Amino acid sequence: MTSASPAAPAAKTRLRLVPLLEPRQSVAEGLRIGIYVGSLLLAVLVSVLLLAGAGVPPGDLGREIMTTAFSSPRALGSVLAQTAPLVVAGLATAIAFRANFWNIGLEGQMILGAIFASYVAIHDIGPESARLLLMAVAAALGGMIWVAGPGLLKIRLGVNEVITTLLLNYVAFNLLLHLLYGPWKDPVSAFPHTEQYEAFEKLPQLGWQNLTWALPLSGLLALALWWAYSFSRLGYLVDLMRSNATMARAVGVPVLGLSVASILGSGAVGGLTGFAIAAGIEGRMTQDFFVGYLFSGVLIAFLGRNHPLGVVVVAFFMAVLMLLGQSLQVFFGVPSALVQLIQAVFIICVAASEFFLTYRMHWRSAA
Amino acid sequence: MSDLLLNWLINIPGFAAPFAIAALGLIITERAGVLNLAAEGFMLAGALAGVGLMIHGAPPLVALGGSVLAGMAMGLIFAIMAASFRINHVIAGLALVFFAEALTSYIASAERWTNKAISGLEPVFLGQDVIVYATPVLCALTVWMLNRTRFGLTIRAVGENPGAADAAGIDVTAIRFAAILIGAALIGLAGGYLTVAVSRIWVDSVVGGRGWIAIALVIFARWHPWRALLGAILFGCIEALIPRIAAAGFDVPRYFLQMTPYLATLAVMIWAAARGRDRWSQPAALGQHHIREERG
Repeated sequence: MTSASPAAPAAKTRLRLVPLLEPRQSVAEGLRIGIYVGSLLLAVLVSVLLLAGAGVPPGDLGREIMTTAFSSPRALGSVLAQTAPLVVAGLATAIAFRANFWNIGLEGQMILGAIFASYVAIHDIGPESARLLLMAVAAALGGMIWVAGPGLLKIRLGVNEVITTLLLNYVAFNLLLHLLYGPWKDPVSAFPHTEQYEAFEKLPQLGWQNLTWALPLSGLLALALWWAYSFSRLGYLVDLMRSNATMARAVGVPVLGLSVASILGSGAVGGLTGFAIAAGIEGRMTQDFFVGYLFSGVLIAFLGRNHPLGVVVVAFFMAVLMLLGQSLQVFFGVPSALVQLIQAVFIICVAASEFFLTYRMHWRSAA
Repeated sequence: MSDLLLNWLINIPGFAAPFAIAALGLIITERAGVLNLAAEGFMLAGALAGVGLMIHGAPPLVALGGSVLAGMAMGLIFAIMAASFRINHVIAGLALVFFAEALTSYIASAERWTNKAISGLEPVFLGQDVIVYATPVLCALTVWMLNRTRFGLTIRAVGENPGAADAAGIDVTAIRFAAILIGAALIGLAGGYLTVAVSRIWVDSVVGGRGWIAIALVIFARWHPWRALLGAILFGCIEALIPRIAAAGFDVPRYFLQMTPYLATLAVMIWAAARGRDRWSQPAALGQHHIREERG
């Protein structure tokens, strides 16, 4: 029926409470930290309940975390080895988010980075002494190429970058499968991964546990970005652009240049993430080396508040979580998807907490 | 060759229907001003619920009913995030997709539903099943609701100018809540159709980005149901063609063929954006929160 609703029913005089939302003008630092920590605690609580439901007694959890991460130098070494690519993934995402570009194409950019680096390795391009550097440059270039299309579409035509970057992940994945099941299949084992990189095509060992140069290099990248965002004019302008692009443009900030630099920078670091795994962990390009990094990258950037040092801290905890997930899978038969479920719980809790930072609630009675 | 053509044609509606139904759900939600990037998550929930119920012996239409409810359950979480808590719609949508990916993968592996073949929805007439025939009806109902009912007009008012709607006595948050739930029901149904009628099996990648393609389709159709149906048929043509190209003996690399829906989606988005300035059919308040106390 299309009839208009009948005359309003006789007003009830029932008393009820109505929330009023008052936007906060400013937030005290203590409150900000308190709400953030509160949301993290809530997420931890939900995660413990989820794990209990999956058959991991909460009592065993603490011991399990200690054993996987801190019980021995070897355990800590594994955590730190896993931290390195996560730091790079988080930085790639944070660079884009900080410039208001929702780059959800990290996995595609990682794949292109690894493909470009593997091309250099497979075709023996350049002298052996410079091979690794060439591979890294190629990887950054690959990631930049993959993000350039969505960036151009966003800037020129206003096309939503969430969808374009995400769709390109599927394209990149099929390209990867094409190469690994076709021309780049391992000639030795006929498995769908590239041949082993030569020793000089892998990131050198640090000499402690199985750590490679990936860890200090990712740390350096984080420090460089921290300096750029916190102490240079560039970072100030990016933050100005982020909070109000129209105003920034009006006062002469080169918004276009900053956007392009941020988008391409994000893609380049995304390509380097692929390189860090291929040349730093696997020693070749496999068909699933990128799985889960898109999600982790978004989570790390988001929880780290797009701050380079925050990214490092969150990446470390994420590495602990990932290794914990692996050992729970072995000892308790917990499905591996539980790690991603816990990550999602953290994103939801922290995102919801922003509501309490943005608004103050009053309860008023209304007739 | 004519066999091939007939075989192709008969398969198009089955591929087009989930795109069309998901697009209708997206249109209803977005016409209320809620940017819905959560479609992939709603579809995953619907797809898994359909498979689970079928494995436990439910008839196909009951399983699809379960898909609707599963989509709405996810929709409820999204509505609390996007409408009540006023989280940025992009963050809320992405968080929900991640959550749904993890949850469905977790349940499927814990319950051992993965890779288990199920019997599916059977054709009723001309090789098509009942959902295919219901699709244009749903489309007509959506058009009628949005243009001819008080509720539909209220949804559109909220999507165009929530401040004015609020001043006219409309509860903006409640309308957005309702629009998200109705949309999620339809998108869940579309996801259920993917497993119950098309693939008849669950694997974690079964939805395969179709939720994102549906979002692009809605932009392409400029939030208009009939145009979304046309776009869905176009994508149905592409998807139905892919398995037939190899079967017909054409030597196109398999993985390049599998890229085509995504590339076609990108092409369609570029075309829609480049077509010009008449972006008027995008709801004016899409993605914007409404805080009564923030007015003026």
